[in-house]
Amino acid sequence: MKFLPFIFKHLRRNWIRTASTVLAMAVCIFLFCTLQSVLAEVNTLLEASSGTRLVTRHAVSLVFNVPLPYAERVKTVPGVKRVAVTSWFGGNLLAKKEAAGGDGSESTTDWSNFFPNLAVDAEPYFAIYPEFQVPPDQFQAFMQDMQGCVIGRKLADKFGWKVGDRFFLESFIPPYRKRDGPFEFVVQGVFDTDLAKYPGTDTNIMFFHYKYLREGTGRQLGAGTLTVEIDDPEQAGRVSKAIDALFENSDAQTRTETEQAFRAGFISMAGNLALLLNGIGLAVSFTILLVTANTMSMAVRERRTEIAVLKTLGFSSATVMGLIVAEALLLGVLGGALGIGGSQAIMWALTNTPGISDALAGIGLSELNLKPFVAALGFAVALFLGLAAGFVPAWSAYRSRITDMLRTV
Amino acid sequence: MVDVQKVRKVYHRDSQEITVLDGIDLQVPAGEFVALMGPSGSGKTTLLNLIAGIDRPTSGKVWVAGTDVAALSESALAAWRSRNVGFIFQFYNLIPVLTARENVELPLLLTHLSKRERRDRALTALKVVGLEDRATHYPRQLSGGQEQRVAIARAIVADPKVLVADEPTGDLDARSAEEILGLMETLNRDFNKTIVMVTHDPRAAQKAHTQHHLEKGVLKQ
Repeated sequence: MKFLPFIFKHLRRNWIRTASTVLAMAVCIFLFCTLQSVLAEVNTLLEASSGTRLVTRHAVSLVFNVPLPYAERVKTVPGVKRVAVTSWFGGNLLAKKEAAGGDGSESTTDWSNFFPNLAVDAEPYFAIYPEFQVPPDQFQAFMQDMQGCVIGRKLADKFGWKVGDRFFLESFIPPYRKRDGPFEFVVQGVFDTDLAKYPGTDTNIMFFHYKYLREGTGRQLGAGTLTVEIDDPEQAGRVSKAIDALFENSDAQTRTETEQAFRAGFISMAGNLALLLNGIGLAVSFTILLVTANTMSMAVRERRTEIAVLKTLGFSSATVMGLIVAEALLLGVLGGALGIGGSQAIMWALTNTPGISDALAGIGLSELNLKPFVAALGFAVALFLGLAAGFVPAWSAYRSRITDMLRTV
Repeated sequence: MVDVQKVRKVYHRDSQEITVLDGIDLQVPAGEFVALMGPSGSGKTTLLNLIAGIDRPTSGKVWVAGTDVAALSESALAAWRSRNVGFIFQFYNLIPVLTARENVELPLLLTHLSKRERRDRALTALKVVGLEDRATHYPRQLSGGQEQRVAIARAIVADPKVLVADEPTGDLDARSAEEILGLMETLNRDFNKTIVMVTHDPRAAQKAHTQHHLEKGVLKQ
């Protein structure tokens, strides 16, 4: 500890260089922590998937619907327990919230308050998803009301909605729009979840009757996807193949996969998300390693005479090496702390900024935050970068002979 | 105090062998003030480095304060230097980011002294060289003569037995050089420090009790 002021004084010697290095390190750790937090959140989302659930969609793209009669045929496949029609509605609140009995003629949408909303075949859907715990009386009321909807607790808290409230949604998907204005909904239930039993379950979501969507638009709509519950998770591969085989020779071939694979594919439509994010993190870390190593080498080279003086005064080579490594580690500590703080701040800002937080919620990242293990990992990376950057110049100082270093005055 | 026996020092540059010291014998009794003189390249600084324990002879023995310096390991030699030798450089070699007191305190960081004891000792050493009022000044705020006095305070703060000085007045004006030499005489006379000084300057050498001349690696009395 008695050497710490000495190390700090050296770091202050060229404060612009020190600050630049710390900032570079901070940017690296900031990116690392932020990207890893996104990945961790995505993984949590995927872990929330059940092994007994499959998703059947159009083989070409999610943009195309699966014909409705497919649901009945899928039910006949051995091993299939339930099938629920599911469609991503993509509805947005109108800019002005409608009061009960409003005519809904307003067409301006409020994108800043976007939240996930799905039209589902309610009875089988809620049986397939036990994590959405709707009180029985409210579920009963929901089933009896065509305009009824159930909303998650987080959504209810966000808008202050309660049972009996009404609101309007208009989809950004043209076939899901009514000719006479937006869809009107009545909150018939508010569901909770048991996060200990179903970790990663998001209650910032709304469900309503698929039948209402179909009849409201007056179009022959298909299903966005079919959510399939199977008896045995071990049979997921066989059942998926059997389902897809049913429609192999039809115009609308299907692709069936586990819910986890479906979500992973949905989240990483742009490619392999994990590979991309880790790749970015690795490239940035390596670049910063080179920058920091260069800085440390320059700093040590400038101090060759001082290192010789220290050794002459009786500082052992190991002590001198330790001082240089400690200096590099301190750069890592400062950069790491700054990067972790910045990452935490940006995630807080994102999840608390209207519009952005809703967009994040829309892709299931409403809980985005800096997890302790990601922060610890980020700090470890910062320390490693500092150590790796400082080791070579420190080793060089360790090996250098006093007389050689004094001769370079 | 210093006993150099048949010391040879040979450097190798590519395939060439350069003999810098060739069979040197030198004895310096405790409390002596010795000047080593000679032209550039005669081996003065190399001999001084051997006595200070920052270099090793190719052959021969260097005994300082009862220790065969060349026989010590690298880390043992460093520890030995911190206890027994104070080094005064031509260009002072103070650490620019440290104040005068912090520079003087540096060798004490290797001891078990408390922070307060280190501070007190450093201030005492600065008082000895007459710079107690410059304790908080940085090297850039001091004159050359003052910097060299701080360097001398740093050399004596751990109370070493031997002081080695490599051209201590080589970078100073005549007045400052005179002050530094006076200070070294005081250290030798009043504090009984054994001093081995390398110098080109005959006036500086006259302050020493004994003068030795080196030529082409050989000592001429």
